[in-house]
Amino acid sequence: MSGAIQISGLTKVYKETRALDGVDLTVPEGSIYGFLGPNGAGKTTALRILTGMARPTSGGATVFGHDVVRATNDVRSLIGFLPDVPGYYPWMTAEEFLRFSGKLFGLKGPVLEERVESLLAMAGLEGIKQRVGGYSRGMKQRLGVAQALINAPRLLMLDEPTSALDPMGRKDVLEMIAALRGRTTVFFSTHILTDVERVCDTVAILDEGRVVRQAAMAELKSEGHALRVLVEVEQGAEELEPLLASQPWVVECRREGQVIRCVVEGMTAARRSIPAMVVEKDLALVRMVEEEPTLEDVFVGLVGGRS
Amino acid sequence: MHGFAVFLGKELTEILRTWRLYVVPGILLFFGLTSPIIAEITPSLLSNMASSDVQGIVIEIPPATTVDAYLQWSNNAMQIALFALIITVAGAVSGERRSGTAQLVLTKPVSRSAMVIAKMVSNWLLVLVTGVISAALCIGVTAFMFDTPLVPEFLALVALWYLLACFLVALSVTLSVLLKSQAGAAGAGLAVYFAMSVLSLWVVMRDYSPVGLLGLGDRILTGGEDLSVFWPVAATLMSVVILIMLACWAFDRQEL
Repeated sequence: MSGAIQISGLTKVYKETRALDGVDLTVPEGSIYGFLGPNGAGKTTALRILTGMARPTSGGATVFGHDVVRATNDVRSLIGFLPDVPGYYPWMTAEEFLRFSGKLFGLKGPVLEERVESLLAMAGLEGIKQRVGGYSRGMKQRLGVAQALINAPRLLMLDEPTSALDPMGRKDVLEMIAALRGRTTVFFSTHILTDVERVCDTVAILDEGRVVRQAAMAELKSEGHALRVLVEVEQGAEELEPLLASQPWVVECRREGQVIRCVVEGMTAARRSIPAMVVEKDLALVRMVEEEPTLEDVFVGLVGGRS
Repeated sequence: MHGFAVFLGKELTEILRTWRLYVVPGILLFFGLTSPIIAEITPSLLSNMASSDVQGIVIEIPPATTVDAYLQWSNNAMQIALFALIITVAGAVSGERRSGTAQLVLTKPVSRSAMVIAKMVSNWLLVLVTGVISAALCIGVTAFMFDTPLVPEFLALVALWYLLACFLVALSVTLSVLLKSQAGAAGAGLAVYFAMSVLSLWVVMRDYSPVGLLGLGDRILTGGEDLSVFWPVAATLMSVVILIMLACWAFDRQEL
């Protein structure tokens, strides 16, 4: 896959604050790319530079080969962008705003009408004649995604698209993003780990202006992080716990009531031995669950407790 | 200038759909209708006040004329209408920045110059249309109430007033680019206007700068001598061009 976004040595300094510090990043074309980081990590600054709203102090970035500083209109015609707090003209309706956005991209006639109609339907805003000024945050955010898609962009950039939404609003927006898989490259910044886990296939973790890890989601979660097993028995967990803790492949063992959580070095040994130990102690097994490492484990491991 | 026509269309629609349709146009239309009436009743009011309050003093106030009606329009349009114009236009760009609409629109293939110039042009059109209607109303009511129409002189006054309004629109939009708040830009715009009023007492400034537009129309109307129109007009047009270039240059360099 070629890179939809290539960032190299990108640095942005505001007076005494280094918002971005030599960021290198490649966003593969066709991916749904999560740009993850705690608040203040520099995610919005990076997006502002990519969209031409700010200039880098040093380093550079290209979008589909176009320099984001020099070829601003070439870049903008290829992208759709949703800022973290989208501002609308409150006197317009959603349909009018989409039509206005489309015209700015040079769309007109039946193509524009068709796009407006289908995007209103996708955003669940068809038939709503209310002005945008009276919309809820969720409606505004759905309209934001719709307006960002009006030009059928090759790259969709979203800045914290779910951070201000209630659970239903988040669900709607994430479903809209997930529905774009395979149709366009999506680059979205967030500090919400579950959103990234839910829709992204590739992730970069940004911390204090630096990319601390960039990898495919599966690779990131499987690399060098502890495997965990949960064992629950009907009774007698206090007898089973010391036996488990004495095994050479068990790194750590912790009991809460009849539930034992173990960090293990190898899952094969755990699968083979734990049921045998339960039988040996003549206990009734309720469940044995292999717990995958979560993105949170990875994130906390890389970023620490700062977020 | 990519996207200029689309953005201008949006600006004009916004004028028709929001409070912007009512403030400056409302003021201008009101003065168009009432200026001749106020001019007509002013001598009577003053005579009544003089005869009732100051005994033993005879003040003769001549009856109002067409010139008085037009001067009344000029006073109102030159002050209240232009103040309102400066204040309402002062949020043109800073408002877009503050509300986040600039960020949403300018990440599409629209040049920042297109946005700035569309703001100016839409306001020029608004003032042109409502100024013409206001002047037409004033001419109509004046013709009904007074004898001599003096239309060419009044149209010259209105044209000079419009040129000054265009200059102040360009100034307000530029200040709106340079300053973060509407209040700041409005304050600075009004300060420039008052400074111009003071500078108009200085002959050199009056003859060779936009300052000369203040009072020039009145002098044409009253048949004043030594009327140098060319340089004030030329200087104002040049100032408008410079302000457009300054606003576009400054906005291009701003980070949003």
